[in-house]
Formats: sequence, C-alpha cells, structure tokens
Amino acid sequence: MIPAERDRLAAEYALGVVEGAERERADALFAGDEAFTRAVTRWAAHLGELDRATPGIAPDPVLWERISATLAQSARSSAAPARAAGTMTTRWREIWSSLGFWRPAAMAAACAALLMAVGLGLAVQRASRAPVLVAVLLTDASRPAAVVNAFADGRTELVPLDTIAVPPGKALEIWTLWDRARGPVSVGLIDAARRVNLRLDGLPAPGPNQLFEITLEPATGSPTGRPTGPILMKGTTSSAL
Amino acid sequence: MTQQSILGTHSRDPAPLDLAAALRRCAAGDGASLRAIYDAEAPRMVGVALRLLRRRDLAEEAVHDTFLKVWASAAMFDEARGDPRAWIYTILRNRSLSILRGEARTDLVDDFEPMGMASDDESPEEAMSRLSDAGALKHCLGRLDPERREAVLLAYVQGLTHGEIAGRMQIPLGTIKSWIRRSLMALKDCLA
Repeated sequence: MIPAERDRLAAEYALGVVEGAERERADALFAGDEAFTRAVTRWAAHLGELDRATPGIAPDPVLWERISATLAQSARSSAAPARAAGTMTTRWREIWSSLGFWRPAAMAAACAALLMAVGLGLAVQRASRAPVLVAVLLTDASRPAAVVNAFADGRTELVPLDTIAVPPGKALEIWTLWDRARGPVSVGLIDAARRVNLRLDGLPAPGPNQLFEITLEPATGSPTGRPTGPILMKGTTSSAL
Repeated sequence: MTQQSILGTHSRDPAPLDLAAALRRCAAGDGASLRAIYDAEAPRMVGVALRLLRRRDLAEEAVHDTFLKVWASAAMFDEARGDPRAWIYTILRNRSLSILRGEARTDLVDDFEPMGMASDDESPEEAMSRLSDAGALKHCLGRLDPERREAVLLAYVQGLTHGEIAGRMQIPLGTIKSWIRRSLMALKDCLA
C-alpha cells in the first residue's frame, strides 16, 4: 500500500467512517501491520482529546465477573477439547461394538419402556394440572408482576398478578429467549394485563433458566421483531417441584 | 484495597497505571494486570461506548468484548505501535461501531437488558467546546470550515457513517466523503 493511501485509511479508520470490505481490510491491518497500527494510534491519540471530557460511568459490578468468566471459559476450551474428544470417541466405539454391553442394555431398555408406559399414563393425567416450569416476572423494583407457567403438554400461559398501565396506542409484548444465537422471540401481544396462552409453536418446549419478559411496544407489536420499548418485567423459569 | 478475582489477586495502586507495562504483563499471561487496566479505564470506556451506543447494556457489552480483545492481542501490542491508551480506545470504538451498525448483533443478545439511561446525543459544538483551549486539536479543528468541522465531529462523537452524516446535514454523500478526506489531511498537517 502506498504511504498516502495508508495514511488516508488510517485517519478514516480512527475517525470511524470506514465501512464494508475496506473496514475488514483495515481491521486486518490494525491487527498485523505495524506502520498502519502506529498511524491509527497516532490519530486516535489526537482525536481521543474529544473523549477526555466524556464522563466516566461506573460499570455494573458483574461486568468484570463476566469478562473473567469468558476468559476462563475460552482458556479451558482452547486447552482441553482436542484430546478429550479423541478419547471419548474411542471409548464410545469400544462400548458400542461390545456384545457384553448390548445384552444387559437390551434388558434395561425393555424395563425402561415399561416404566415409561406406566409413567406416561400418570404424567398425562397430571400434565394438565401442574406446571413443570414456573417463571415469576419481576418489575424493576423487584415486585412480582406476572407468572409464566409451562405445562408438560407444551402449553405455556402468562398470568398477570397486577394491573399494568398501558398507554393508548401501545400494547404489552411477551418475549422469550431460548437461544442466544437467535435472540428474543415474540410469543404474545396483549392490549392489557390478562391471562393468555403464549404462542410457543415452532419453538422447543421451555427449559429451566429460560428468560421471559414483557416490553411496552406499539399496539401492533414491535416493528423490528425485537424488543424496542422499555422492559416492564422479566424473569427466568425454574422447575416446579 | 485488595480484590479477589478468578484471574488472581490484585492490589489497587493509587499511582497512575503504566498502561504499556500492564499490557506487556498481560501478554505474559498476568490476569491481575488486565484487572488493573480495567480498574483504571473501565468507567471512562463505558462512558465513551455509551455516548456512541446510547444503551447501557450495549456499552458494557462493547467494554466486555474490548477486554477480551486486549487480552488476546496484548502480545501484538508493543510500544512501537504507539500510545497504549489510544490503542485500547481504538479497539473499543471499533467494537462499539460494529455493534452500532448491527454487525453480529444477535451474538450480543445476552439478556434483554433494560434500555438503560439513554444519554442525549452530544452535539459537535458541545464536544468542541469541551476541548482544552491549549490543546492542538481544538486549534486545528478551529481552522476548518464550520460545516466540514461538523461533519468530522459527527463521525467521531456520534459514530455516524458518511451516509448518515450526509442525511443529517442534507448534503450529498460524495461531498461529505471529500470534505472528511480533505479535513483529515488538513488536520494532519496542522497537528504534525
């Protein structure tokens, strides 16, 4: 890269106006090219004067814990996995091909099937009555404002515990987060706090520690498909005894 | 004061932190040095990220990601590459702009954090007025044509793209690009 071009890119990168493929190129240079990195940090040191008057804000105390947890996790996963995966596969193959394993295993499977058949009958009877998972949704002030009950047959309902002021033209949208990669999914829209069955069709049955929350959205629901309004309450599921 | 973290024990030192030395120790695997950088810089980093992202949860996400990157890249940083603070804040701004522009947004949904306190956008004039009168940057920005200066400041202070600045200022995109390019050249000569 000719020096003038490098200087231009470094300046625009430090300013933050580089986009698209050029930005990817600049990211790579910033990670590996000394002259480019020096040029960018020189600009950043000058422009950084604009940040000096920006007030500092104490981070949430859990932020450091999250950082160190992520670091610990990535240290573990980069050190351990290759060897562990190898031994597991070999061991599993041995078990799989051993006749000695299969005979008792077949007996056990038959017994398990019988127990399941009996258990299923009982479970079906109980399913409609007692939830298997419960989430208590709390307001900002930690006041319980609603309960989400998930039943064994997959039915999941929201039961408000309190009235909620909904301004005209607004509605309450209920969200759940079952997969972080996918993000929050809308499972219901109500105009006022009332008992409602949640639309979890197409989603896996709720599991423990799954987040539910209610945000204030336009009457027709969030325009983006993601929560946009203030969060009125949230909570995570726990297994019911 | 001594704080315990899973990365080790760290004694908080009242003296200003030597960031370059702390980064060298991070490169050698010293977690306590990363914590020392965190203690010294995290609040201002959250402030800078919040100014760009205007959501507290996203700002903290950007700071989180920045510390991971600082830890992973500390070995690549050496003093020859310049001011260590500028290096860290370049990573922070870069990460914040990625979040702002929606890249890899879904990876960042850790939780539905409340909207947090949205800070009012800082106007270019406010940012300019807060600069030290003695500083070279204020002097050099002051020599730019006011509209061009506004374009440069909107990019840095609010994280706007060329296109967003063009929309905001009601000026054609090509003009904005050339204004910014020439303003940066003028600033470089002035700051040298």
